[in-house]
Amino acid sequence: MLSRIQDNMRYIVLAIIAVILFVLIICPLGAIFATALFQDGKLNIAGAIDVVVQSENAQMIANSLFLGALVVIVSTLIATPLAYLFSRTRFAKYKIFDIIFMIPFMTPPFIASMGWILFMQKRGLLQQVFPMFKGSEDFFFSIAGLVIVMSLHSFPFMFTLLKNAMLNIPSSLEESAQVFGAGFGQRLRKIFFPLLTSNYAIGALLIFVKTLSEYGTPATLGVRIGFDVFTTQIHRYATVAPVHFGNAAALSSVLIGICVVMWLLQNYISNRKSYNLVSGKGSRFKFEELSKLALVVAWIYIIVTIFFSIIVPFFAIISTSLINLRGLGLALGNFTFQHYIDLFTSNSKGIGAIINSLILAVAAASICAVLGTIIVVVIRKIRPKALGTLTEGVSLLPSFLPSIVMVLGIMIFWNALYDVAPLYNTLGILVLAYVVLYLPYTIQYVTSAAGQISDSLQDAARVFGAKPLYILRRVVFPLIKPGILTAWIMTFIISFRELVTASLIAPPNVLVVSTFIVREFEQGSVSVGMAMAVICVAFTTISLTLLNKAVDKQKVAE
Amino acid sequence: MKKLIVLISMVLALCFALAACGNNASSSNQAPSSDSNAAQSSSDGVADKKGSGTVTVYMPSPAGLVDKQVAEFEKQTGIKVEVFQGTTGEILARLEAEKANPVADVVVLASWSDGLTLKNQDKLASYTPKRAGEMVKDWIDPENTLFGYSASAVGVIYNTTIFPEMNADWSELADAQYKDQLAIPDPEKSGACKDFVANYVAANGWDDFEAMAANGMIVPGANKAALEAVTTGEVGVLVAGVDYNAFKSIDKGEPLQIYYPKGGTVVNPRPAMIMKEAPNPENAQAFIDFLLSDESQKMVVDAYLLPGIEGIEQTNRIPLKDIPQIEPNWEESMKTAAEDAQKINKMCSK
Repeated sequence: MLSRIQDNMRYIVLAIIAVILFVLIICPLGAIFATALFQDGKLNIAGAIDVVVQSENAQMIANSLFLGALVVIVSTLIATPLAYLFSRTRFAKYKIFDIIFMIPFMTPPFIASMGWILFMQKRGLLQQVFPMFKGSEDFFFSIAGLVIVMSLHSFPFMFTLLKNAMLNIPSSLEESAQVFGAGFGQRLRKIFFPLLTSNYAIGALLIFVKTLSEYGTPATLGVRIGFDVFTTQIHRYATVAPVHFGNAAALSSVLIGICVVMWLLQNYISNRKSYNLVSGKGSRFKFEELSKLALVVAWIYIIVTIFFSIIVPFFAIISTSLINLRGLGLALGNFTFQHYIDLFTSNSKGIGAIINSLILAVAAASICAVLGTIIVVVIRKIRPKALGTLTEGVSLLPSFLPSIVMVLGIMIFWNALYDVAPLYNTLGILVLAYVVLYLPYTIQYVTSAAGQISDSLQDAARVFGAKPLYILRRVVFPLIKPGILTAWIMTFIISFRELVTASLIAPPNVLVVSTFIVREFEQGSVSVGMAMAVICVAFTTISLTLLNKAVDKQKVAE
Repeated sequence: MKKLIVLISMVLALCFALAACGNNASSSNQAPSSDSNAAQSSSDGVADKKGSGTVTVYMPSPAGLVDKQVAEFEKQTGIKVEVFQGTTGEILARLEAEKANPVADVVVLASWSDGLTLKNQDKLASYTPKRAGEMVKDWIDPENTLFGYSASAVGVIYNTTIFPEMNADWSELADAQYKDQLAIPDPEKSGACKDFVANYVAANGWDDFEAMAANGMIVPGANKAALEAVTTGEVGVLVAGVDYNAFKSIDKGEPLQIYYPKGGTVVNPRPAMIMKEAPNPENAQAFIDFLLSDESQKMVVDAYLLPGIEGIEQTNRIPLKDIPQIEPNWEESMKTAAEDAQKINKMCSK
């Protein structure tokens, strides 16, 4: 009887989730796809298909997939050794690196790639300081350059995911292998990597999907080398006169198709290779001892990664923000703090933008954390399983397509609904859009954490008479808390610096950080824009450091 | 199965509950958002004729100019201005997405042909501004829907540390001394560059642009990004660069110079337009009259743009009478502009 009630409770919650997802995701998508299928008021499927099969679009689709695959590979190569070092060895004690490796991700992609361009271009910063690098721009303005810049931006995703997963592998597993004579390589191959397959699949999918739907870098660096991808083509349809939302939607349906297939593949892998590592058994954690040589190599690796992912772009960004006359470049006497002063004194817009972004980021991250956690917890228990998969799939949809498509859908839908729910043209619509767009990240992070928890823990609690809510509060929640916290941070960072959504949907008179920067780039001073970027990254870094400190303190108190 | 029925019925019940909530929310929100609600009702033709005390304007660059004009207009009339600043592309996308419940009263674009496109889509209202008679010839269309309150032209902008002195005509830019030194703004993102390309090609054919592309011309991005490439010295020459940004940078002391080649350029009036479905048409008209007023025109001049009213003094840039022009054929160039722009991008990509 009791379980009957619990069961029903679960379905009520599921029903609520279903309605929320329907209004938040399905309705806007329906609104935008309707424009693809109905042209001039008539159903026109052939027209939509025509758009997709154009030969130049075929080339563009091939470009996107190629780029996505390469970025996944390069990000993996960068992130895996780091994740290992910062979870299994003494390096894990240096918490500060958790934040440092978030910096590439805090930097808006278009800013980072502009930094790279300013650094690498002909007569750029590199060639001004070291004239012998003349000609190096040819190497940079290529697909290799594009892949490297995008990987340096997205590897933190893989790093945090793998690191969290590696932290949960008890040392006992490795030690028993060691007892039986397995060497380091063999242990990695036979124990470590298989245990991580499921988490890696999630990370690879995240990065692949993110690369395919990323606009900032392809729009700044990609266009320079004539490398068209999904997002640049879709943006062209949606924002170059005459605008064709229908074509943009038709093209994104292909992207959704590709991403859904990849996601099902990831699900298949994760389900087959999922291991419950967090169970009732006590697990010890012992750091791997590194030899002197290994320690040196590790430090070099960490420094090189930081050099390319942070120092190079920020050298360009910071020096641009300090240069007085851009035409004179890095020259003595050509530096000024005026741009930083302008930012805060010439008008109140800069500060207003920071405050707006802060409100938006906190609101979106918090709503996502609550909603995402509920969704993951509920759908893991739903039978038939397909119903849970379907719900999860719907909630992931927004990450499968360029944000502009989702945003246009949201605009069309909420604008039409204005008389019933006057959300459009308020700050609320921005929060809503961010929640829709970034819910998938929360779901992926929490799923990754929850997947490692053994059901036996909950069964044990139930045996001792714990009620479902009590189990949730005292067993499940504490175990997935790190995942939720990471998700909150990721959503906070990404909403704080988001551009495409804000530039379209922000109500009149509302500027956020990214739109402020772009407006400065377009009409004001590039240096002031860069100064804003520097301040925002510094601000994000400091607030995350404080947040981490607070969380650590709380842990100690417990 | 039973569960499924329970589930579906719950979903439906929730939908109703949610809809009800939505209604409540909208009525309880009425007080704080009275502006937008009033705007809403006047668009239905129910409310007062006087408008609601606000006017919503969608306007592209330059930001400093927009801010000053808005502040002055609010001071003079007491009408509150809601400004959305974006690129032409963002503005067009917004207008399209807001079809169901139009929000914008006045739309300003940076390219005359994009304005004509809106006119051909029957989206504009006609109005005769108070100073229509004093406007520069042809900067207002015969049907009184596009008001060119300011204008820009494209020219050749060059970095003086690389080329101390230049006066090559368009066709001479294919010369070997400019090899790998040319850039052009992305015509798909720069309306001014797009209109110039379309009109130039219509008059002179493709030979000159093809020769420039063969000479290693790159497309670094929209107007400002392209100007950046010349300012930082990545290339020496910006072909068809928008002039007002260049004049501003030159005044600031950047090592740049600009000239208009003998072959002629296109002076592109920036149209301000009243939307047909404007929620506050009268405020929109007041805003248009303000744009053409002496105060606003003075601000236009200060932003290094060409003023839309005859006889306004200008000393900070090359004035309109000294710019050699190609006679633009807007109707024709409008049809080919988008395709021409794409072709330029294709030609210049490696």
